[in-house]
Amino acid sequence: MEYYLGVLQTIGIHALLGLSAYLLLLTGQLSLAQVGFFAIGSYVSGMLTVMVGWHIAPALMVGAIMAGFFAFLVGFPALRVKGLMLVVATIAFSEIVRLFFFNLNWRVQVDGLEVGPDSTQGFREIRYFAANGWEQSHVVVLIWSILALVMILLWWLDRVRAGAVLRAVGEDELAAQSSGVNLMMVKVAAMTAGGIIAGIAGGLFAHSSTYVDHHSFSILLATFAISYPILGGLRNVFGTLVAVIFIQGFIIEGLRFIGDYRNILFGLLIIAAMNFRPQGLVDGNFRSDLAKLLGLKPNGGSNDA
Amino acid sequence: MGFDHIDIIQSILDGVLFGSTYALIGLGFTLIFGAMQKLNMAYAAASIGGAYAGLASITILGLPALMAFVIGPVASGLLGLLVYVACFQYMPRGNHLAPLMASIGALFFIDEVIIHETAGSPLSFPAVLPQAYFFLGDFGIRGDLLFAMFISFLLMGAILFLLYRTKLGLATRAASQQPVASLLCGIPTRKTNATTFVLAGVLGGIAGCLVAASVGVLSPLLALPLTIKGLIVTVIGGLGSIRGAIIAGFMIGAFENLFLLIRGVNERDIYVFMLLFIFLVFRPNGLFGTAIDRD
Repeated sequence: MEYYLGVLQTIGIHALLGLSAYLLLLTGQLSLAQVGFFAIGSYVSGMLTVMVGWHIAPALMVGAIMAGFFAFLVGFPALRVKGLMLVVATIAFSEIVRLFFFNLNWRVQVDGLEVGPDSTQGFREIRYFAANGWEQSHVVVLIWSILALVMILLWWLDRVRAGAVLRAVGEDELAAQSSGVNLMMVKVAAMTAGGIIAGIAGGLFAHSSTYVDHHSFSILLATFAISYPILGGLRNVFGTLVAVIFIQGFIIEGLRFIGDYRNILFGLLIIAAMNFRPQGLVDGNFRSDLAKLLGLKPNGGSNDA
Repeated sequence: MGFDHIDIIQSILDGVLFGSTYALIGLGFTLIFGAMQKLNMAYAAASIGGAYAGLASITILGLPALMAFVIGPVASGLLGLLVYVACFQYMPRGNHLAPLMASIGALFFIDEVIIHETAGSPLSFPAVLPQAYFFLGDFGIRGDLLFAMFISFLLMGAILFLLYRTKLGLATRAASQQPVASLLCGIPTRKTNATTFVLAGVLGGIAGCLVAASVGVLSPLLALPLTIKGLIVTVIGGLGSIRGAIIAGFMIGAFENLFLLIRGVNERDIYVFMLLFIFLVFRPNGLFGTAIDRD
């Protein structure tokens, strides 16, 4: 049971991370900086609960705001460039953050114990949940309620003007700019919001795993973060969740019995998925394809929720 | 820690020499980006894969050590072709995300196959000219790094010759500037692009072998840092600029080694990334790049 709850926690955290990248992909920005914001959220909220003794809720919030603040700052120079340059710039940002925490040594005495980030040894004492009598299931409920909230917000965003503006920038920047959209503002806003979501995910990750170090925040995780929305498709927020469940639930956990072959399989599956469904698994034709597969007549999309 | 101007010049010198491998990797990224305006994330992993194939030819087949430098590039050239077919050939032309994501998949795949085959532990790689060490006044120069630099200059000359003096080069440049128009003129663009991938792969294989030979060990952990350094070299040099990639390669090598001396191994890369950000803010088109107005 503990094991399944752990898997649920991982899926929830990765889905949040994927959604933060999804928001940026809507504006056509491929960002590998999400793991940097994730790391900032982890360390800041972890340090607040461990070293200052804060409650989890304000700690998560401050972690998210810090991550959003850095996303805002990094947004200006990084969003001057596009495509490949943005990929490289965001990789550089994530690596700077990772190396900063790799070198950060800030130990303090709390209740006679020395706690805090210990550079290469990582940050080991994030035991807020255990210390306050939370059970694994409570943590799952916390993570999934935040995930549900974020998904509802993003779903709602797609129904109002702001969402249309985001997608317009993603579809054709020049056309959007001609229609009076302030590109810089939209992109920096998307970056900041993405940073906040990634920061919350980071805080949840730090507290549910009780231990973080620089290995937790490698570029590998950043590629996972963008692979969820790209694999799932940008049609709606559920694509990302489906992709996370597929990768974390099925490939990583479900296929544990085939050992390290599943890592090899993971690479092959991404290549295959991109060749056969370059628009993502849950793309615009998903409904009609599914209907065809089930032998039902495709319904012209009129019941599209 | 104390160090004087001799240490500083010495470390810059070593860095420039080691930077020749970064220049080669950056050159490969530039070639592929120049040909297709797309990013091949699997490139450095394929280079390391080639170096592993070269090493396997020595240890398993018992070939002489020098053969690693022949088998390695050939193998990574083949890997380059494979990556092209699997991740780029059948993708829609306007879609930039799908091939990028697919090549990240290929990066994982190549890296994980290596980890699976070697059980994740680093293997030692035969050194070229292990005894060679020259003195130039107060400064020492490692013979194998000098050899690496020599080889890189040779290859850069060959690539420039190929691009600007041969028919294949003309076709490659045409396909990169106007894919549709060059197709209408009878240039087999797919074949041209595939050739570019193979060429870049061979370059990468040589770079992989040179890195492995000068470091002395080959490890799957080399793939990701080499990818990042190669991308930084490409961006600082200016996207699509060949001389930019070469000069930026040496520059990054020198800069990295200097900060290794001043700030130590844990902080070294922070300054390299900071340098990238300085470039992005003040010179977003790199040293020699033309303005990029598309994704």
